[in-house]
Amino acid sequence: MLSVDRVSVNRGKTLALADISLSIEAGKTLAVVGESGAGKSTLIAAILGLLTPSKGSVTWSGAPVPSCRPALVMQEPRAAFNPALSLRRSVMEPLFARKANVPDNRLSRLCKGLELPTDLLDRKPGEVSIGQAQRVGILRALIDAPPLILFDEPLSALDAVTQKHTAKLIADLQAEEGFASLIVTHDLGYACAYSDDVAVLRRGRIEESGESSAFVAAPCTDYGRALRDAAIALGGLEIAA
Amino acid sequence: MRSVIVLSACFIALAVFGPMFAPYDPTAINIPNRLSGPSAEFPLGTDALGRDILSRLLYGARWSLGLAFLISLIGLCIGTLVGLAAAQGGKLVDWIVMRTTDTFLAFPELVAAVVIAGLLGAGTGSLVFALSITSWMRYARVARGIGLSLKSRGYVVQAQLAGMSPLAVARWHFVPALVPSLIVVWTGMFARAILGISALGFLGFGVQPPMPEWGTMLLDARIHLRSTPLQMIWPGMAVATCVLAINLCGDSLRDSLVERTS
Amino acid sequence: MMLAILGLILRASVVVTGAAVLTFVLLWFAPGDPAMAIAQARFATVVSADVVDQVRAEVGLDAGFWSAFKDWIGPLLVGDFGNSSVTGREVWPDMANAIGYTVPLALTGLAIGLAIAVPLAVLAARNQGSVLDRFAVGIASLGVAIPQFWLGLLLILLFAVQLGWLPAMGARSPTHIILPALTLGLGVAASLTRIIRSGLLEARGQGFLPAFRRRGINEAHVSRDHVAPHAAIPVVTVFGLELAFLLEGVVVVEVIFGRPGLGDFLVSAIFARDFPQVQAVVLLTALLFVVINLLIDIFYRVLDPRIGEHDA
Repeated sequence: MLSVDRVSVNRGKTLALADISLSIEAGKTLAVVGESGAGKSTLIAAILGLLTPSKGSVTWSGAPVPSCRPALVMQEPRAAFNPALSLRRSVMEPLFARKANVPDNRLSRLCKGLELPTDLLDRKPGEVSIGQAQRVGILRALIDAPPLILFDEPLSALDAVTQKHTAKLIADLQAEEGFASLIVTHDLGYACAYSDDVAVLRRGRIEESGESSAFVAAPCTDYGRALRDAAIALGGLEIAA
Repeated sequence: MRSVIVLSACFIALAVFGPMFAPYDPTAINIPNRLSGPSAEFPLGTDALGRDILSRLLYGARWSLGLAFLISLIGLCIGTLVGLAAAQGGKLVDWIVMRTTDTFLAFPELVAAVVIAGLLGAGTGSLVFALSITSWMRYARVARGIGLSLKSRGYVVQAQLAGMSPLAVARWHFVPALVPSLIVVWTGMFARAILGISALGFLGFGVQPPMPEWGTMLLDARIHLRSTPLQMIWPGMAVATCVLAINLCGDSLRDSLVERTS
Repeated sequence: MMLAILGLILRASVVVTGAAVLTFVLLWFAPGDPAMAIAQARFATVVSADVVDQVRAEVGLDAGFWSAFKDWIGPLLVGDFGNSSVTGREVWPDMANAIGYTVPLALTGLAIGLAIAVPLAVLAARNQGSVLDRFAVGIASLGVAIPQFWLGLLLILLFAVQLGWLPAMGARSPTHIILPALTLGLGVAASLTRIIRSGLLEARGQGFLPAFRRRGINEAHVSRDHVAPHAAIPVVTVFGLELAFLLEGVVVVEVIFGRPGLGDFLVSAIFARDFPQVQAVVLLTALLFVVINLLIDIFYRVLDPRIGEHDA
């Protein structure tokens, strides 16, 4: 289980993250919602071990997070791949680094689950659509069966129809593979529909957190309420009856 | 890009196979025929010791071009390693490496090379060392610049997350992106190396007689400037032609690179 | 801004210090026994081991690296370059004398180069793609490919030997400077033409210029107020590069034309293994280089504060 314990991060003189605590169990999803500049990318970097927090700790089952080889799905799918390499080579990179092999049908099974024709992998990143590229990104995240996957605005670069579809694919695969997931997004509708718990991040602090359905029904803070009402008004969020 | 490869191939062919077309042994001394002008027997004439200039010119390619190739490659390797180390290494390493590079850059390249080659004792080894050690800096700057901009690319972060060693990341993700720019720098440095080798040869610090390096040939020709002026035309023209060819290729390569990135 | 400039000065100081150390390291680790070479040069004959040891002690070569370095750098900081290990005379007066021959040559060469390059580059850039432009680029490309020493020899052949118009060797009269300066100048002109031309073209390509022209703003004013500052940056870069070109060229040109300048001073000192003299020239050149590049960097910062974001 992922445990973020009172983490603070200084970026120069400003406090990018202040006293953040959260946890995610295997198989569960936490959505972190916030506006731009709230500190979402810093949080991801801190969890993945790409930067060291000035205070607090991040662990997976007591050990440093990198030891469980977490994966990251990035916002901009094409930037996540080396344009000179084939998608197959990029997807296999986690295994390549470990000098390990993938069980034979895992790749084809995952491709089917992500609705990717296997010959697509022989192409270069520039030769596929954004929606396909993002799904290949998810494929790479899954290939080595990590227990924790972080999603940084995974749907932002996609069009509305593809968004819904991709969100569902991710959820189905999570049910199958059982990984813990942290989704960072500014889209409250997506966040609440596809997560177990939600945390609202504002200026480096967690304003409120709790079960998604509870949050949607009755947010505790004014900020949370404002976010929720705005999301309903824009049509992204529906209150379950 | 293609033109650079073709040109390099031509130069290599010239250096390797050219001497086969040489009618005489370039070091064969032939006093009775010394300082003769162009003739049927000696198409470009002979030098002060009666050696055939055409043959010396053809063999000279091995020295002037071959050594230049070697020197520019050594510079490329050192410079790229240093530049990547600076980009990968974190702020302190970067600062140290960059100040070291600046320190080496504080000396005009040829002046430093003259001093180094002169003090190490005249000869080919000193020449190669002197010119290599004064030429790596430009590659380092380019490699560092590109390395720094690549560090934050999505796929580099992914590679690090996947657990790839820094060496593997460099080999798979940095080097391919560096190649185009480094080749452009390399063509310029290759040209500079040819000029440097001949300059040092002319000053007496480089390749030693009787080896037929083009700069050393010009040194010989200078002494007999008044009696056989033609003698100094050929080696100079050889150097100028090669350098011009490389520069033109480098220019077109640079232009196509700019087009590609914009 | 001031902070940035101070940072640049600090950086330059570090580089100069490093250059001094590097200069000393180079000479310290040079192979062969310098004491023997010096003794032989001084006495013009093969000398016994005793004499060599004596010379060694006298010149201070028997001390360790750091004490020898201190002995050298201490006086240097107050401007004392020490004494020639061959002649025993002070280094500075002879070097200053040599500089007196080199500076006019370098400046004249630069002037000739500018006089040719600036008009040529401006005309070429203004008529981009025309026959003149192509000619200029071609001639400039040829010019940078020609080795300086060959050009010098060609000029000697033409003007001194065949035509007899100008003197070649030595520095006895004012006319003796013409051929060497011309050699240097033509080389400078070639590389300056290329760079000034591309600087001007790049500035011209900046989006706002056509808009100005459409509003009828005087072409000359556009050139002066807007193209010039943008073109100034690569041109100023060029001066930094041309300095290196000049310093390198001067060495070769002085040797060819037998001028007793700094290049000749250096080459003779190397042959004689006169360490104090070699060190003095090398360090002075490096110092000059670093200072001028520092001034250029400061100039850049003042002109466009965005420059230097990626510097360490």
